[in-house]
Formats: sequence, structure tokens, C-alpha cells
Amino acid sequence: MTVSPTKNDSKNAGPWLVLLLAGAFEVGYALSVGGSEGFTVLGWSISAFVFFLLTLFCLSVALKAIDVGIGYAVWAGIGAVGAALLGPVFFHESLTQVRAVWLAVIIGGVVWLKLADSPKLEAQKATAESGATPAPEWSP
Amino acid sequence: MSWLYLGIAVIFEVAVGLFASKANGFMRLWWTIATLVSGAIATFFLSLALLTFDIGVGYAIWTSVAGVGIVIVGALFLDQRLNWKKALGILIVIGGVVGLQLSGAA
Repeated sequence: MTVSPTKNDSKNAGPWLVLLLAGAFEVGYALSVGGSEGFTVLGWSISAFVFFLLTLFCLSVALKAIDVGIGYAVWAGIGAVGAALLGPVFFHESLTQVRAVWLAVIIGGVVWLKLADSPKLEAQKATAESGATPAPEWSP
Repeated sequence: MSWLYLGIAVIFEVAVGLFASKANGFMRLWWTIATLVSGAIATFFLSLALLTFDIGVGYAIWTSVAGVGIVIVGALFLDQRLNWKKALGILIVIGGVVGLQLSGAA
């Protein structure tokens, strides 16, 4: 059992906090876009614009330290779950049981999809399968 | 009509995903501008779709189907491999959207 050489990444909590923040901003973005009613309501429209920039900025900062697939999965999951839960709080909407189940399927699907697209998880799996040291993967 | 708006919003969100990966943490100006413009168009059409869809529903469909689109475009045009895991994720998302629609909960 060998210890893999680079384990210091993603140990730092900072990027994860920024990622959670990006997720929260994404929820704010979703609610604001809905509340803007086709960008005819000024307050919600401005709020949508601000959240749009904030979520993009925080996500891009977080993804410099966190694997892209994992980062997107967490971010998209927070955004979609948050929008589904808070939509009924802020607006005249309802989250019925049937709807909650199907939304869970959809959100679970996209989180799975983002994780499947993770370069880091793929690399770890490849390393585990080959058993030995990670072989450098370049073509001549 | 609301599905059409949502479809247009999805297409531009797929573009956002592809452009953002080219923008390299927003260090490259033109890809960054392309990302922001696509994002603005996607947002506008999403807001039109959300006039009909509830936010939680419209948003989940939008972001998830865009995720599917990004993987499919990557596999078709960008030499990214489409393994069984990604294919399963695509099926789950599509199954969920179809189920949501058929159950009348959309």
C-alpha cells in the first residue's frame, strides 16, 4: 500500500467555502430570475444580474483548487435543490410529493453526470486499477 | 411555448459551459465575453420559461438538460469519451424530465 504523492490539494477548506457560497448565490440567481417575470420587475432583475456575476466569480475561484467535475456537481446540486425548496417560500409555488420525487431523480442524475465527468476521479480510478504508480499519459 | 423558451435557454447554457472551459478562469478576454453574453441570453430565455414553469422545476430541468448537452457536445465534437457512467447519467436526467412531465407535475 503506497501513499499517493499529492494529497495536499482540496485539504484546504477555503475553496470549499467559496464553492458553497457559489451554490448559495446560484440559488439567489434562480429565485431572482423567476421573480423578475421575464425581466419586467426591476428589483428582481437587478438582483438576478448581481447573483449571476457573483455565482460565476465564486465558482471560477473555487474551481481553481477543486476538481471541475466534483465542483460542478456540488454547485449544481445546491442550486437545484435550493431553488426547489425555496421557490415555494418566496413565490406562490408548491412542492408536491410527486414533483419532489421527480426533481430528486433529475438532480441526482445531473450530480452523477458531473461526477462522471471528473478528471480527478477518473485518474484515481485508473491509478487504483493499474495498481502501481500512476503512469504518465502522453502520446508521442 | 414555455418548453421552446426553456430549450433555447438550455442551448445557450450549453454554450456557457463550453465557453467557460475555454475562458480558463476568466483569464482570456474573448472567451470570457462569449461566456457572459451566452449566460445573459440563457438567463433571459430562462426567465421567459419561468413565467410558466415553477422556479424549482424550470431551473432543475434547465441546468440538468444543459449538463447533458455539454457531455453530448463534448463527446461528439471535443474528443471526450462517452463512458457508461455518463450515458447512465444522461438516461437518469432524461428519464426524470419525462417522468416529471408525464406525471403532470411539471
